[in-house]
Amino acid sequence: MDIKNQTNSHVYWNPYFGGFILGIIIIFTFYVTGRGLGASGAMKSSVVTLVDTVAPTHAENNAYYSTFISEDDSPMNTWLVYEALGVLIGAFISGGLNGRIRWRIQHSPKITSQRRLVFALLGGILFGLGAQIARGCTSGAALSGMAVLSTGGFITMLAIFGSAYATAYFFRKNWI
Amino acid sequence: MGPLIPNHLIPIEWNSIIAIIIGIAFGFVLEASGFSSSRKLAGVFYGYDFAVLKVFFTAAIVSVIGLYYMDYLGYLDITQLYVHPTYLWAAIIGGVIMGVGFVAGGFCPGTSLCAVAIGKLDAWVYVGGILLGIFMFSELFNVIEPIYDGYFLGNITLIDSFDWNPYWFIFIFSIIAIVAFAVADMVRKKVKKVFY
Amino acid sequence: MIKKQTAKILAFRYKILALILVILAGGLVLLPKYQKNEGIKPEQLLANAISLERYIATDQIAHKLINQDPSFILVDVREEASFKKYSLPNAINIPLKKILDAESGAFLNQNQFDVVFFSNDNFEADQAWMLCNRLDYKNLRVLKGGINSWFKTIINPPKPTEDMPEEAHNLYTARKAASMFFGVAYPDQVQTDPLEKTQTAPKQIITVKKKKKAAEGGC
Repeated sequence: MDIKNQTNSHVYWNPYFGGFILGIIIIFTFYVTGRGLGASGAMKSSVVTLVDTVAPTHAENNAYYSTFISEDDSPMNTWLVYEALGVLIGAFISGGLNGRIRWRIQHSPKITSQRRLVFALLGGILFGLGAQIARGCTSGAALSGMAVLSTGGFITMLAIFGSAYATAYFFRKNWI
Repeated sequence: MGPLIPNHLIPIEWNSIIAIIIGIAFGFVLEASGFSSSRKLAGVFYGYDFAVLKVFFTAAIVSVIGLYYMDYLGYLDITQLYVHPTYLWAAIIGGVIMGVGFVAGGFCPGTSLCAVAIGKLDAWVYVGGILLGIFMFSELFNVIEPIYDGYFLGNITLIDSFDWNPYWFIFIFSIIAIVAFAVADMVRKKVKKVFY
Repeated sequence: MIKKQTAKILAFRYKILALILVILAGGLVLLPKYQKNEGIKPEQLLANAISLERYIATDQIAHKLINQDPSFILVDVREEASFKKYSLPNAINIPLKKILDAESGAFLNQNQFDVVFFSNDNFEADQAWMLCNRLDYKNLRVLKGGINSWFKTIINPPKPTEDMPEEAHNLYTARKAASMFFGVAYPDQVQTDPLEKTQTAPKQIITVKKKKKAAEGGC
């Protein structure tokens, strides 16, 4: 019991409290900048920058990359990239205060780390693809969209959770 | 009257600095709420932990109520806020793909960044996967473009598309959320505890 | 035992919190709705209306036109037909009924130029001025007396009699010079080189549209 308590202790915030603070942050963000939060935009900028440095001509010829490349400004110089940097810092602070920082692979005891990593990669690819198609992820489209009652935000949110619940059965071994 | 930066009440140069500050707060709250743990996140789909649902809906409701109060009191012009554009089928298809990715990988981009910051190797791989996914999307952009740019309905809100009264909608939305929280707690009691 | 008690307290708290949430959301429904006052407040409008800045004299406009002052645009709020017949140099035509159109906003709602409204007299220009002020557009002026006054003072200035003070004579000379600039020939001046009317190309007015929102949002 003691060991279990140690490994399973819920040292996290009360979810309602966390949600309340998150809501205040969203209000503040909209109040100051007029826009919502986001996360995958920074990754998009990274990919664009990466491709632009490795294969500039290819990037310019591609209809998608070229929309984010301009002569005088790096695609990394966007609001969302700075915000994502902040997320990394903030999470590091919080994790540090609570002693959660260490290298590890978190997975269900029933599966191997390797399997976890393979599924993480798969999930990442799908999420990256989907986030680009829907123009935003759970934070950019769903959360910030819902805050201003955007129709697209609600549709995206319903689609994410709907399909996640629908397919959860097939992935159950990974988690429980 | 807000929003402050689009109305030039704060110089635009501050935008990046404010972005970092907001990001820090965002990351801190996500991590502190336990969103850096993929097993906690996935719990919402198996009924052993509803933190995602609670945090997500509480945040959405608090923000929407707060924004409408600020609009009512005249601190904020809600029509000037950025409304996520609605591309009907892109939103649905993208959402479905993201949902599968969510269950498979156990993160969403924001939470994976938090997990990256505290050294979860699976999150590093996950972020690598996202980058790969975005790369694939860009390479296949010509194929996907009809969906990506089609069925554009504008930057609309539910008020525009259904002609609902926003205040009543928010009221009903919050009641739905409270009911959802209560149901979530009941479900959690029924489901076998999973330790992570 | 302790766990049970904390659970009980928490459950009670959640009920209170849920209640607060419902009350707050319900408050939005129940709060009395009022028509949002778009634009500026009546007091501000009054202050603008009685401000001396509101009117600009024909002499000033003539002076600015001659010096090719780039800091203002002339807006003719009469009908298009009258505009075609005669208007001030370099004026643009935005008829009063089109003043609220989106493309008019690009000219009227900006911070670069002074906007000078004019019509045949003050009336239509004043109406345009009032409407645009209400929308909180900046730097609006009205040409005092409109085109009628323009004719009376600049194009066809009344000749002062001998017994009038010197200022009147100075004013007359200035106005006469101005009217010559605008193409009026005087018999006593004909011997000087025939004014080659430099038909200046219509002023290009480049307006920078006020950026409403630059945010490219989402993830």
